[in-house]
Amino acid sequence: MIYPEIVGVLAFLILLAILLLRVPIGAALALVGMVGLALLISPEAALIKSGVIAFDTVSRYELGVLPLFMLMAQLCFAAGASGDFFAVAAKFLGHRRGGLAMASIGGCAGFGAISGSSLATVATVSAVALPEMRRAGYRPGFAAGALAAGGTLGSLTPPSGALIVYGIIAEQSIGKLFGAAIVPVVTQALFYIAVIALMCRLRPELGPVGPRATWRERIASLRHVLDIAALILFVVGGLIVGWFTPTEAASVGCVGALIILALRRRFTPAALATALYETLKTTGMIYLIVIGALIFSTFVSVTGVTEHLSGLVHAAGASPMLAVIVMALVLLVLGSFLDGLALMLLMTPILLPIVGTLGLSPIWFGIFLVRTMEIGFVHPPLGFNVYVIHAGARDISVGSIFRGIVPFLLSDFVHLALLIAFPVIALWLPGLAR
Amino acid sequence: MDIHDQQPPRPGPVLRFLLIVGSGGLLLAMATDALAVLGRHVGFAVNGAIEIFQMCAVVALSSAILIATLAERHAAVDLLAGRLSPGTQRGLAIAGRVAALAAFVVLGIGSAWVTADLWPTSEMTEQLAIPLRGFRLFWLAACTCAAIHSAIALIREVRR
Repeated sequence: MIYPEIVGVLAFLILLAILLLRVPIGAALALVGMVGLALLISPEAALIKSGVIAFDTVSRYELGVLPLFMLMAQLCFAAGASGDFFAVAAKFLGHRRGGLAMASIGGCAGFGAISGSSLATVATVSAVALPEMRRAGYRPGFAAGALAAGGTLGSLTPPSGALIVYGIIAEQSIGKLFGAAIVPVVTQALFYIAVIALMCRLRPELGPVGPRATWRERIASLRHVLDIAALILFVVGGLIVGWFTPTEAASVGCVGALIILALRRRFTPAALATALYETLKTTGMIYLIVIGALIFSTFVSVTGVTEHLSGLVHAAGASPMLAVIVMALVLLVLGSFLDGLALMLLMTPILLPIVGTLGLSPIWFGIFLVRTMEIGFVHPPLGFNVYVIHAGARDISVGSIFRGIVPFLLSDFVHLALLIAFPVIALWLPGLAR
Repeated sequence: MDIHDQQPPRPGPVLRFLLIVGSGGLLLAMATDALAVLGRHVGFAVNGAIEIFQMCAVVALSSAILIATLAERHAAVDLLAGRLSPGTQRGLAIAGRVAALAAFVVLGIGSAWVTADLWPTSEMTEQLAIPLRGFRLFWLAACTCAAIHSAIALIREVRR
């Protein structure tokens, strides 16, 4: 006799093990899901279900949002948007103590809105900001720590790739998720800026004062980001207020990005081909993972594990707060050795039904999940962002970057605690748009 | 200099074909949807825009998955594998190839099964009556090519 719950738990452990053995994430999710379905239902049903899920995924209109937002990002890169947001923020803040580090946080938030990815944000902004901070006499560990932390803003800043993937898996409104992310992103950036200000007040040598730019220079610098900032505002704003659906917003964003590319006189066949090639390559990678995750998610729902866990949580009479704290701890531990996307796709089918049982909002949960996932980008031993910075600045040791991150990590924990204690931080804005 | 100032890498004929087809699908999907938004706000209707988008998406995304496979871009967790001995790493690389091959083969068989089941029904979209057979075959072809590439990569890995 096969107990579905036991098969579910075993499958979860096997999946975790094969993921750690470097099996491609999409293939691992799909295979474990298919073998599980074959065991619990029948091999024939598993094959047919997988075939149906695969074609539905590549032909679903709502999922078209992902490649189109990626194309919009690539077109903005092609338009030369990479270092512009940092350069503008540096003109406004560079004369303050720690001002360039604060500017790097602003640069990460701005660039994150284009890229929707933590790793792309940290790689791009650090390539511009780190040499500048070092020239200005900033302590390397502190500068790198600020950038690694700031890079995490890319995961949550709308239009965020992680939120789109969560919206697809959890079948939640991507527009509401984007709206819900805005206040957490702004407060997170403000927390980082406060940490920088505090650190530089306590130890002024960390981030020396730079030269002050004139107002004429500041206003002139704004011209470099106005068009792209206006496009992002239009796309995300239009989506939140209901002018268009997420897929339409992404399509309109792509058209806008093409116009910006042309206006900046960078519209060349080579630039367009590179943008399309990069988009298709990354999209293909993510779609295989999404197909695998949907097959795995179907299998998880068949096992009944989530109902069992929800029942346990209910029977234990645990308060929603306590349950969420336990979830956060589990996610932080798993985030120590799994990358963000794998963590999200593995845990969403398991945790989302529990969230429903606890009466919590799935939109809030999406923000909480991505926020927790972001912390995994900077905390040891994985801390992808740290290695991205280290790859670009070999003379700064990994250890000194991790030490530089500690104050930002502490602020992350406080911010996460506030998000758990006051879900309204995420739910206020989507509530207004209703 | 950013990467967009550089010439893109010169792809082989298969990759070039996929890039052209996939890009065409993606750009057509984008244009259709943007036109539908414009039409809705200006006052004309683009009938069946969603269906056109869906068919373009099948072409673009099937090509994208194959491009990611050919470019060896499928994501994996690197934490543990990077710290093992070269022999163990090679073993894991083979295991990864086997898993990728198995995943594409099973997805291909499942898709072929569904396509065969639906073939006699002459499945079409509702509004524009676009036949879906060709698109299902395109997806199936992408799965098959990805499986073939994974098999070749596995053989190379074993022989290395």
